[in-house]
Amino acid sequence: MAYEALDFFDIDSLLTEEERMVRDMVRDWVEERVLPNIEDACRDGVFPDEWRAEIGEMGILGAPLEGYGCPGLSYIAYGLICQELERGDSGVRSFASVQGSLAMYPIWDFGSEEQKEKYLPGMAKGDLVGCFGLTEPDYGSNPGDMITRAEDKGDHFLLNGAKMWITNGTIADLAVVWAKLDGEIRGFIVEKDDEGFSAPEMKGKHSLKASVTSELVFQDCKIPKDRILPDVKGLRGPFSCLNNARYGISWGAVGAAQSCFNSAREYALSRIQFGHPIASFQLVQNKLSWMLREITKGQLLAYHIGKKKDDGSWIPEQISLAKMNNVDMALEIARMSRDIHGANGILDEYPVMRHMANLESVKTYEGTHDIHNLILGRHITGIQSFTREP
Amino acid sequence: MGVAVLLKQVPDTTAKISISGGRVDEASITKWSISPYDEYALENAIKLKESGFGDVVAITCGPSRSAKCLTEAAAVGADRLIHIISESPLDSIQVQSLLSAAVKESGCDVVMCGKQAADTNSGSTGPGLAASLGFSCVGGATEVSMDGGVASATRLGPSGMEEVEVGVPCVFTFDKGDSELRRPNVRGIMMAKKKPIDIFAPDDLGVDVSNSMVSIKSHSSPPEKQPGQKFVGSDSIPEVVSKLREEANVI
Repeated sequence: MAYEALDFFDIDSLLTEEERMVRDMVRDWVEERVLPNIEDACRDGVFPDEWRAEIGEMGILGAPLEGYGCPGLSYIAYGLICQELERGDSGVRSFASVQGSLAMYPIWDFGSEEQKEKYLPGMAKGDLVGCFGLTEPDYGSNPGDMITRAEDKGDHFLLNGAKMWITNGTIADLAVVWAKLDGEIRGFIVEKDDEGFSAPEMKGKHSLKASVTSELVFQDCKIPKDRILPDVKGLRGPFSCLNNARYGISWGAVGAAQSCFNSAREYALSRIQFGHPIASFQLVQNKLSWMLREITKGQLLAYHIGKKKDDGSWIPEQISLAKMNNVDMALEIARMSRDIHGANGILDEYPVMRHMANLESVKTYEGTHDIHNLILGRHITGIQSFTREP
Repeated sequence: MGVAVLLKQVPDTTAKISISGGRVDEASITKWSISPYDEYALENAIKLKESGFGDVVAITCGPSRSAKCLTEAAAVGADRLIHIISESPLDSIQVQSLLSAAVKESGCDVVMCGKQAADTNSGSTGPGLAASLGFSCVGGATEVSMDGGVASATRLGPSGMEEVEVGVPCVFTFDKGDSELRRPNVRGIMMAKKKPIDIFAPDDLGVDVSNSMVSIKSHSSPPEKQPGQKFVGSDSIPEVVSKLREEANVI
């Protein structure tokens, strides 16, 4: 049966024809290429290289960026791309989020003309893969205290330190790395063959299994002077990247939730217990209507913040709310959907347990659920509660 | 020179079709697509263009919603888009007359379309159009290439693949081949959005569609498939044999 994405409030009617066409292109690709192969990719713990190439051919990487071979689509279109990719798998959406929002965006916004010319066209095509190094083994929610250091050695920079939980790290051709130079956070572009740089893959994940997660290790890593991002200093650099990625996640989570909802509805209609489809029982209907209600609210949040991204009237706290709410609802829907599937819900014949395990990561990365609450708490009260320091 | 590709918008093969008042309820169809055989024609036309054979002109005849299949064709490489708008249903002869007038307008001497549409399955458009235009017609092609003014077509013959050579002007109808329609990309979609669609009403093409020789009496759903029967154990062999002989008529 054809996939009919839940769209109870007819968000579709608010989209432009171009946005719908891009959405359908990605939806068809996910249907043809991701869904038949995702369980194998998870079992093998790989992000298939042909997916990288095909995502590049579709021309969706760095969707809202303009110039330098980038697509120049609306933020709504970027959101729809994330939604469709994550309906397939959060790992696939993670690949695109990291490439576009975390690696291409800082080069596009803070890079020199030469850096933009050198990297962006290849990254937009997927020929060059990027990653983003901010989180460290001991500094996750608190990146401002990072240990990784850069030293100015006259004709080059020397990087020392380590990053962790880096999506795409091992397969990346370049890394946008945040490190302290004279006590101030700066962005650096590290290429995979740079001396003193390695990116070992982290193994043993129960979540995002079709996504590459790595450490980045810098041991007297020597990089040329022209690899510093000239136009940004401090946490504003990484945080502005995260705002874009978090925005995309607010749509992606809707896609994962739609997938879980669809599977639950189909299963409930076909599963007979006590002589009737379980969809005819009130407890199951109550769950399905809760899912519909929460997905619909999440779609409206994502669409509205998308419009604000497009007209520039957004504030970061709104993105925090959208990311936090939508991932939270998607995870709850995945769990509820698993419940409706009964024992069958744990099998890889259905997508729900995979989405559920993935969403545990999505809830934590790009600002944990709790950190987004603290961002909102500060917005409401004017009092920051991240640290005990005044 | 150029290739006209005829595209029909049909309910997606996965769409649920319901009948209301003895007619297919079009309003309940959630997904419309280019008829799959027409997609093979479009892919071949774009390949011909890439090999240096003139522009691709995509033509559709149908209500305003069918403009979507022209934009989709533009996204994968069609150069010119022609939409003959008719909101009311047309019979096969009327469709052929309208398409024939549009092909003449386009100046194309090669026409490609699916061997039949996925909804009506009548298979009359290609041959009817060829007759109306006075073009040759090769049916059921899977691949067509051009060398000078001569086209070579591969088609399924009575005992294997058949190679046919034919001079232009010619109409080719397409069967399922190896090459599926390419996926669009963002660049194609953005170009397609800017591409104008030339719109014609039947009157603009000098075709009178006021009288039809065909009237459809009613539509109905196909009968529900009978559930399968299960036989267990060697005792049931005589029963299976008798059913195969008398009911299924296969032995």
